[in-house]
Amino acid sequence: MNELDGMRRWLGDLRGTVERKAEGLTPEQLAARSVPPSDLSVLGLVRHLAQMEHHWFVRTLSRADEPQLYVPDGDWDAQFRDAVPEEAVVEEAFATWRAQCARSDAVLDGLPPEALDFVWDPDDRIGSVRDALTQVLYEYSRHAGHLDLLREAIDGTTGE
Amino acid sequence: MSDMWLAEDQDPRTAGNPQGEKATYAEYLANYRLTLGMKCDDLTPEQLATRSVPPSTLSLLGLIRHMARVENNWFQRTAQANGRDRIYWSEDDGDLDFNAVEPTQACVDDAFTSWRREIAAAEEWFAGVPESDLGRELPTAGRTDEVVSIRDLVVHMIEEYARHCGHADLLRECIDGRTGQ
Repeated sequence: MNELDGMRRWLGDLRGTVERKAEGLTPEQLAARSVPPSDLSVLGLVRHLAQMEHHWFVRTLSRADEPQLYVPDGDWDAQFRDAVPEEAVVEEAFATWRAQCARSDAVLDGLPPEALDFVWDPDDRIGSVRDALTQVLYEYSRHAGHLDLLREAIDGTTGE
Repeated sequence: MSDMWLAEDQDPRTAGNPQGEKATYAEYLANYRLTLGMKCDDLTPEQLATRSVPPSTLSLLGLIRHMARVENNWFQRTAQANGRDRIYWSEDDGDLDFNAVEPTQACVDDAFTSWRREIAAAEEWFAGVPESDLGRELPTAGRTDEVVSIRDLVVHMIEEYARHCGHADLLRECIDGRTGQ
């Protein structure tokens, strides 16, 4: 398996982890800040991951001029603060996240393996395609760690 | 960034804009090893051993022991087929790394010494891997019939650190409220 296919497999596995960590929870459980004093919730993280996918794949790799998701007027706290226990908010968040995953996959479909070496800014902290994709995998993994403890605190469920 | 407790010029982590696949993996791995260590800064043995997010049995000290074991398992037992048993593991208790944590300075010193030793050994091995060898497959230690490419092994390590840094984020915040890094 080449490097790009390997990254895509890891990405698919991590998205699957997010689905499993959220599975079977009510809106109240999804929005619960179950590990106080942290303000993280499963629902807040799904919104954050939608923003993260959109930022790297659409805004950065595709150079699309679109505003950040869930960051109204530069208010970064909104992604977590406004993750409230309402069915409509839950449905919107998961629909948005899944739609962004599909957009990301379309970007990846158009990426030849050699594009990983492309550097758009040698001075940027993350300035190459490989670096950006590694950052996406890292973000998902770290937030999967948050999801592990949030879910276990909600109903005792553990596992991959 | 506001959620950092070290000034930028004191942060040991790098943003070296690595070029190429191997250099990228090496930088991510080095930085997230440092991140996990930083999550343990300025805590007592009691705090490090605390299971601060119940009902989870995880603790920061358990995570350090776990990562010493994981580094050893992948970089020594699998990558170099050293033929030795896992560390912080027993037949009777597969979670010995987490379960046998003690709130003592001796337990802390032992864990960090082991972890740093395993990191040094892992870095020494990976430094000698040619870029063209990243797709080479190795038999997985303890699992007959399974192989893992060097690429998958290293990416797995980055993910494993990242996930455990996520655990460490919440464990630490529940101990003394510190977040970030």
